[in-house]
Amino acid sequence: MSDITKTHLAVIGAGPGGYAAAFLAADLGLDVTVIDPEKNPGGVCLYRGCIPSKALLHVAKLINETREAKKWGITFASPDINVQQLRDWKNDVVKKLTGGLGQLIKQRKINHIQGRAHFLDSNTIEIINENSDKSRLQFDYAVLATGSRPAKIPALSVDSPRLLNSTSALNLEDVPKSLLVIGGGYIGLEMGSVYAALGSKVSVVEMMPNILPGADKDLIKILKKSLDEKFDKIMVNAKVTNMKALDDGIRVSFEGDDVHQNNQKFDKVLMSIGRQPNSDGLGLENTSVKTDQKGFVVVDDQRRTADPSIYAIGDIAGEPMLAHKASHEGHVAVEAIAGHKVAFEPQAIPAVVFTNPEMAWAGLTEEQAKQQGRNVEVMRFPWAASGRALTMDRTDGLTKLIVDPETERILGMGIVGAGAGELIAEGVLAIEMAANVTDLKLSIHPHPTLSETVMESAEMFFGQSTHIYRPRRKK
Amino acid sequence: MAIEFKIPELGENITSGKVASVLVSAGDTVEENQSVLELETDKAVLEVPSEVAGTVKEVKVSEGDEVEVGQIVIIFEEGQEQAEAPAEQTQDKKSAKQEEEGKEQATQPVEETPTPAEETPDSEQPQTTKAAAQTIEFKVPNLGENVDAGSVAKILVSVGDQIKKDNTLLELETDKAVVEVPAEQSGTIKEILIKEGDQVDVGQHILTIETSESAETKTGAQKEEQTKTETEPSKTETESAPAPKKEEPAPAPQSTTKPKQERSDQGKRPLVPAAPSVRRFAREIGLDIVNVPGSGPGGRIGIEDVKVYSKRLHQQRAASDTVLKGVQAEALPDFSKWGEVDRQSMNKVRETTARHLSYAWTTIPHVTQFDKADITNLEALRKQYGPKAEEAGGKLTVTAILLKIIEGALKKFPQFNASIDMQNKEIIYKHYYNIGVAVDTERGLLVPVVKNINTKNIIELSKELRELSKKARDRKLALEDMQGGNFSISNLGGIGGTAFSPVVNAPEVAILGVSRAEMEPVYQDGQFVPRLRMPLALSYDHRLIDGADAARFLRWVCEALEQPFLLSLEG
Repeated sequence: MSDITKTHLAVIGAGPGGYAAAFLAADLGLDVTVIDPEKNPGGVCLYRGCIPSKALLHVAKLINETREAKKWGITFASPDINVQQLRDWKNDVVKKLTGGLGQLIKQRKINHIQGRAHFLDSNTIEIINENSDKSRLQFDYAVLATGSRPAKIPALSVDSPRLLNSTSALNLEDVPKSLLVIGGGYIGLEMGSVYAALGSKVSVVEMMPNILPGADKDLIKILKKSLDEKFDKIMVNAKVTNMKALDDGIRVSFEGDDVHQNNQKFDKVLMSIGRQPNSDGLGLENTSVKTDQKGFVVVDDQRRTADPSIYAIGDIAGEPMLAHKASHEGHVAVEAIAGHKVAFEPQAIPAVVFTNPEMAWAGLTEEQAKQQGRNVEVMRFPWAASGRALTMDRTDGLTKLIVDPETERILGMGIVGAGAGELIAEGVLAIEMAANVTDLKLSIHPHPTLSETVMESAEMFFGQSTHIYRPRRKK
Repeated sequence: MAIEFKIPELGENITSGKVASVLVSAGDTVEENQSVLELETDKAVLEVPSEVAGTVKEVKVSEGDEVEVGQIVIIFEEGQEQAEAPAEQTQDKKSAKQEEEGKEQATQPVEETPTPAEETPDSEQPQTTKAAAQTIEFKVPNLGENVDAGSVAKILVSVGDQIKKDNTLLELETDKAVVEVPAEQSGTIKEILIKEGDQVDVGQHILTIETSESAETKTGAQKEEQTKTETEPSKTETESAPAPKKEEPAPAPQSTTKPKQERSDQGKRPLVPAAPSVRRFAREIGLDIVNVPGSGPGGRIGIEDVKVYSKRLHQQRAASDTVLKGVQAEALPDFSKWGEVDRQSMNKVRETTARHLSYAWTTIPHVTQFDKADITNLEALRKQYGPKAEEAGGKLTVTAILLKIIEGALKKFPQFNASIDMQNKEIIYKHYYNIGVAVDTERGLLVPVVKNINTKNIIELSKELRELSKKARDRKLALEDMQGGNFSISNLGGIGGTAFSPVVNAPEVAILGVSRAEMEPVYQDGQFVPRLRMPLALSYDHRLIDGADAARFLRWVCEALEQPFLLSLEG
């Protein structure tokens, strides 16, 4: 086929970055074509990431709570887990969401082409559909939103169906007796939590001195305490040196501090050491787009690549690889294409780990302040002083504020505890609006909720927290 | 075929002239380059050669008329037609021709309608004709009073960009504010010689711009191409916006430094205390929010702060524009037409002097008061006490003595020790006595300031003056040595001359010029006696100082020179 069609804006990849970009572009009246291998938009986030994992984590939480209920005088029998049905339900969630997006594409009259795009030059792509038919599309502008995929360590790669990545782990083929998670980042911990709740004996191995590298230690400490109970063990400062596929599992050799057994057999191994951008195989060499050493596409603050007609957003445009960052970038890129004077300049990108308890942070972390040598004041409000946390029997939480002592501005917020992911949004707003501690302190928060911990930690700045007696140190 | 002959380009800066004589009349046959008119311009009488050959059909001007460049003065019939005409002058042809003439006359008034005023003014014509594919060095313009350098905060254009006059090209951060630098002409960016973070000086060549017809037609072509696509409006919008686009300005350094910057988005830019809506507003109106001072708690920036800041920037720019207008309006002729020239860049002192004095001259209504002081006695005293000053390491010069005398005069006439604040409609009176002394150095004029004169005696002043002059000549003056003056003295007596009118060193309001003292016959007590008389000139800011006060001031100075005792008495 040698069809040549034309479009003003080609959006390549329909994940949360790509579809947000395409939708806004259509709303702004641009002629948009979306190219994506799936039938409906969604990308990794909806098909193989955020959404299915959250469905499973919801179930994991329920299972955990039935166990905890024993303390409150309610005893449930051990759950009878129908993996097939659970998988179907999870798939159904994905289907509903992606189907809904498909509807929105139609309603917005966006041209959707199912296939993979390959750049022929700065204004032309070749699209190969599932039947290997080829067509060509000319565009004035393109938004590159092809995302990322799980990274591999080639030296450790074994050819075994027992070696999982985030995608296959989410497929939930079965519940292995033992599971090793390589990499203590958020994906590994979330998937480890799911499998642990379903009954697997989960071990985690992390190369760095702590799980969730980069996050604040006081938050991690609380999370780790809970994970230590749920997981078999968490090895930090440790790494896998060798893996060998067996008929009934994978034999793994370790090296490092926390390692008690140098050689262990696991039913399955989940490799979650990070993700790498999908910038290869796109024909970017036929354009002026530049990539860095890690394969991320180099963009300016409007997300424009070195090729003036091509923009890049989301995972392919750099860290942090988060869906909500991608959507925001998608909006910025499209507005830039539409001629608006905009830039990607967030002051806080929230990060959430959907473990149990959840952990979330936004803006400056204490760790970063230390690295920058920046003088900050940190307020920590332990959830043991929160009425709401007590009623939920979830005092395993902490709300912290990082404040500039001069301007009293909120620079960062970190939360560990049930529902931290929901609570962090207030921190993002506070940081973006340049709120100071007085603003937070004087905003009435509903009682009894966990959100009060935010207000009370602000009160702590003045040594006036209602539920904690900790007079302010005299300067 | 009638041809209109218009007044051609007459030379640089000549837009009109008076017809001194008309050398042809209707029916004359004219060769190309034959003189048809003599024009008297304010520079010379010029012969205007014809650009066409043909028969003069009508002369539309007569002697004494004022004509402008581009005005139609003669209507010709083209040569070829004319050549045939005399050969066979049949009645038919003639009448046909007359008919044609009639027609043309009917249409002429219409063609004539562009009155001289509407014609393209001369000053623009050389640009459009000569400018075909001309590259222009774009230099950092004046950024305001006392600002002579800045660092490049942001470059808003890239190589290949089409720019329009007044499009913002870059943002410069000076020690006072961030200034947007607009394009002075439309064109295409050829070359960017700077990068963000660079220090640039006023006058530094930073961009090369091609101003040309070709650039314009290119834009046209591009637009045409775009109209083919349905969604063209949005594209043209981005194309014409001065935002970064097309080829990267400096591919090599950018590609290596940029990724890192972009990777840590949160780290690089300071956390500005402004809400996203406010930040976006600032971006939309072309301001960098980082530079906007916030008035809220903890320096929080509200939308009002952005507006106030923007207004201030515009006022600053408007102020610097008005100062420059009078200075830069005229284009320079091509001097090399008349002989060999070479161009040298101004040094910093020259540049600052030129800018500062233009500012002073254009903003201050100057008047100069002249007088002469009899310094016969003073000279005797100066010789007598000279060794004392030498002992102290100074030199008892007239300037040193004048410092003390002016201090006395400033005390007696406080409006001379003042500055004007026109914006607030206030006069600022100063209660300290600092006087600048113009020093002639290799690099040019420098004006070190002798401070707190009231606390020093003449010997001390002579010593300090000597030190400052030496520092000036050795290029060792610090900026603060040249700041804080209330009044200036320029003594050219050492060189000679009978009188000159110095320019007030704004924001001061007066300056004393000293010329060479000469022995003069003075009629005294019924006879002429030789007296040493020193000519003095006092230029002053007439906004603040009235003529009578200036006369009194200068008289007092003369009297103090003549009778030094007056200084102790009144000073």
